[in-house]
Amino acid sequence: MAQYLDGIFQALADPTRRAVVGRLGHGPASVGELAAPFDMALPSFMKHIHVLEESGLIRTSKSGRVRICEIDRKQVAAVGGWLDEQRAIWESRTDRLEQFVTQEKDR
Amino acid sequence: MTLDPERDLEISRIIKAPRAAVWAAWTRPEQFAKWWIPAPALCRVAEMDLRPGGALTTLMSEDGGAFGPHLSACYLELVEGRKIVFTNALVGGWRPAEQPMMTAIITLDDHDLGTAYRAHVMHKDHADQETHRALGFYDGWGTVAAQLAALVEG
Repeated sequence: MAQYLDGIFQALADPTRRAVVGRLGHGPASVGELAAPFDMALPSFMKHIHVLEESGLIRTSKSGRVRICEIDRKQVAAVGGWLDEQRAIWESRTDRLEQFVTQEKDR
Repeated sequence: MTLDPERDLEISRIIKAPRAAVWAAWTRPEQFAKWWIPAPALCRVAEMDLRPGGALTTLMSEDGGAFGPHLSACYLELVEGRKIVFTNALVGGWRPAEQPMMTAIITLDDHDLGTAYRAHVMHKDHADQETHRALGFYDGWGTVAAQLAALVEG
């Protein structure tokens, strides 16, 4: 759970990617359309698309020469739970505690 | 303590370290600061007054610069080596807090492999979620759902 949210958090920790997700919230769009508002070389922009795709937040598919991106609603809904967020906070907190005390033991 | 599935969460884990080590990680400020907040953010324990009514106050710096508020809580119960109960419904000295939202009960028990660790966290209600998010943000999770909802629905 925590690991999975980690990828999504990293995906959203960037203004360009947040803007892309925001745009895709209104419906699917091509990479070209998505890239248009940004003053950025296409390869750099594609890196952002890949990060979003790896997080599972968006899906992409090729239609002829055009790559179409869309939001994965199921994935978005999966992280919507408020209590899940709290659980993720406490799970990762417990991970760090566990790591800390087991390292202490080794010293 | 009953678990309300709508508002509570429970973490239950066997930690391969002695109970005393886990207790120390929770009760020694210099140790607590090392795991309470995820890196790269830094944690500073401003107050850790280990008695009922005592303050637990942590500060956080996102980038090593100025420290801002993180958690302001009050201990409710301490059983040496075994149990810590704290809430952010109060601050030190039993003073009511501005934005109460949770009570945490941490229990440590002996286990063959080390420590049976349990965190039972009770929350006020869902109406408080925005407050949670403001705090949770510092833990690297809290804004995720809020951002997503705002972005996708916006």
